[in-house]
Amino acid sequence: MLADTWYLFNKYMKITIRMPMWTLFTLVQPLIWLVIFGELFKNVSQLPGFPAGTYMDFFVPGVLVMTVLFGSSWSGVSLLREIQSGTVDKMLVAPVSRIAIVLSRVLHSTAQVIAQVAIMLAVSWALGAHLNLGPIALGLSLLVVVLLGLCFAAVSNGFAIALQREEPLVIIGNLMTLPLMFFSTALVPASFMPDWIKYVTMINPINYAVEAVRAVLVETPDMSAYGQAALILALFTAAALWWAVSAFNALRD
Amino acid sequence: MIQVRGLTKVFPAGAKAVDELDLDVSPGEIFGLLGPNGAGKTTTIRTLATLCGFDSGEVIVAGYDVDKEPEKVRRSIGVVAQNTGIDYFLTGRENLELQGHLYRMKKSDIKSRIAELAHYFELEASLDRQVATYSGGMRRKLDIATALIHRPKLIFLDEPTLGLDIKSRKMLWDYIEKLNKEMGLTILLTTHYLEEADKLAHRVAIISGGKIRAVGTPEDLKSSIAGDAVTLDLEQQAWAAQQFAAALKQADYVKDSLWQGNKLHLYVANGAESVPKITELARRHSAAILTLSLSRPNLDDVFLKYTGSSLEDTGEESGDEWWKQWAGKGGGGKWQQQWSQDQQAAESGAEKQGPEDFQETQQARPASQPASDSSAQTGGTWPQQQWSAEETAQWQGGRAEKADTPNQTEPREAKSADADQPSWPSQQNWPNNDTDNEWAAQKKWPGKPSEK
Repeated sequence: MLADTWYLFNKYMKITIRMPMWTLFTLVQPLIWLVIFGELFKNVSQLPGFPAGTYMDFFVPGVLVMTVLFGSSWSGVSLLREIQSGTVDKMLVAPVSRIAIVLSRVLHSTAQVIAQVAIMLAVSWALGAHLNLGPIALGLSLLVVVLLGLCFAAVSNGFAIALQREEPLVIIGNLMTLPLMFFSTALVPASFMPDWIKYVTMINPINYAVEAVRAVLVETPDMSAYGQAALILALFTAAALWWAVSAFNALRD
Repeated sequence: MIQVRGLTKVFPAGAKAVDELDLDVSPGEIFGLLGPNGAGKTTTIRTLATLCGFDSGEVIVAGYDVDKEPEKVRRSIGVVAQNTGIDYFLTGRENLELQGHLYRMKKSDIKSRIAELAHYFELEASLDRQVATYSGGMRRKLDIATALIHRPKLIFLDEPTLGLDIKSRKMLWDYIEKLNKEMGLTILLTTHYLEEADKLAHRVAIISGGKIRAVGTPEDLKSSIAGDAVTLDLEQQAWAAQQFAAALKQADYVKDSLWQGNKLHLYVANGAESVPKITELARRHSAAILTLSLSRPNLDDVFLKYTGSSLEDTGEESGDEWWKQWAGKGGGGKWQQQWSQDQQAAESGAEKQGPEDFQETQQARPASQPASDSSAQTGGTWPQQQWSAEETAQWQGGRAEKADTPNQTEPREAKSADADQPSWPSQQNWPNNDTDNEWAAQKKWPGKPSEK
């Protein structure tokens, strides 16, 4: 299974690298987020009740998670294209592990997201954000990024199989990503939220990802907060992966 | 090599895709499944290739039960599906390598096998180019090569030449025959091209409505129809034509006759002798013969005999399986299936979503297929003579006048079907040239089933 995953993962990476323009766009896009949102909400940090530090300090973990979310949520679109072009059938008639087919796709979009995150951290550091970029903090936030990437790539693939068509998948993708982002502390701290939104954030995996990254990227890391948030996120990810794999197995009609 | 007993597969909507199908393919033969769109060919092949489950029956492929040992079946077979499963951004070599890895072959083995296959399919020069630069025929060759990488004993070819030009099609036929002869491969292929089944297959099974209607060598099947085939185009509704047809049935030289829309198929002992008699009879009954053609029986006549409809008149293959789930209802995928079930429960046995519904929606020709495909098929390739309008008119006793030049805006297909036909001023129900377009569009459009 691992060998199959590796070969298929390699295939997707080759394909990605052969579309350099596209790869470039996916790398540039998060920077645009960082700059636009960073400037737009700059003065929010002046409001009473905002945590200490500049808005940029607060926002970097949020935009990091946003990048992961937007990057991995469209993984299912290319799965559909592969189903329609017969590539998936070709894999299915080979004695390939079914898990490997899903896993390689999900890993591929996660790998892309990691590259984006690395660039973003470098740029936000250059822009003067006060971040704890020690190796442990970086490693731990990368772990969260991977978990979240896996989670949403899996959800997207699961929906792709359930819906069987691109248009509804895109609608669901939009419906999922934007509200989930606003229902989290990515843009504003929890103290700014009305009560009912606070309750929604409790069942939002994105919120846990933001909280976890924020807990370790600040200058005094809060390990227990990180551990708690990361654990809950891991549970979400496991459930999403399980759903995607079982949906894929059911594809054999 | 393949034994199928009582295979039945029911679509979630309740229609039977495959219905109590039996099939035996012996080692070393090329076996053709011939049938129109929606006949169950692809479903059958997908079931045999472990891609799709089934509801009842027993399926043994390459000595293994598909249901119990799918992994072993997968190792022994190669599959070339309708949609090429190769990646356009990878080179030919990378596609082959990946496939080799997925079959867990050793690296050195993959390398030597690629060299072998590239040589065999004459792909050496383009092996390190991206597949996106390949021609349609080359892609199909590469597709077959990837299916052969692990040296299977049996391969499935689902519509191997669909959408290819004549030249590439002929080239692929040569390869398929060579593979069978030189590598000893057993080949199960599906097709809706009569010529393909006739040329390639050692044995042909005629499949329609999920059932196999007849099996045999193409020669045996054709000789099951004695004599020559005469096809007349008539106005079926016209009283004169009805009288004429009834008289023909009585005639001693007509062995068998069959209405199909406006076409009357006659099977006669001797074509050359019968044609003048037929036209004479038509004149006596004042029945208008629009076209008359005489041919040796081909597989289409066989098809007509066993299924009651002509293969050439059934819709073009759309090949989009997933489209069926969307037919007319909105929703999709699993939710669509659920919807259909609920709907059926609610209507409690009222009108079911049968295969007819699907066929209706599939009449829309997919954009990927050239529109001239079917007319080229009927007009060009078949060894069939068509009498010209003048000749037919002569037999009709010179009553006819040559038709006006057809309207230039008329679509190409309609023109090729109707351009040669005379119009008959004496007949009241014959439309004039102003409505000719409409008439042609309604009744003569290739790929649309005739009214019955």
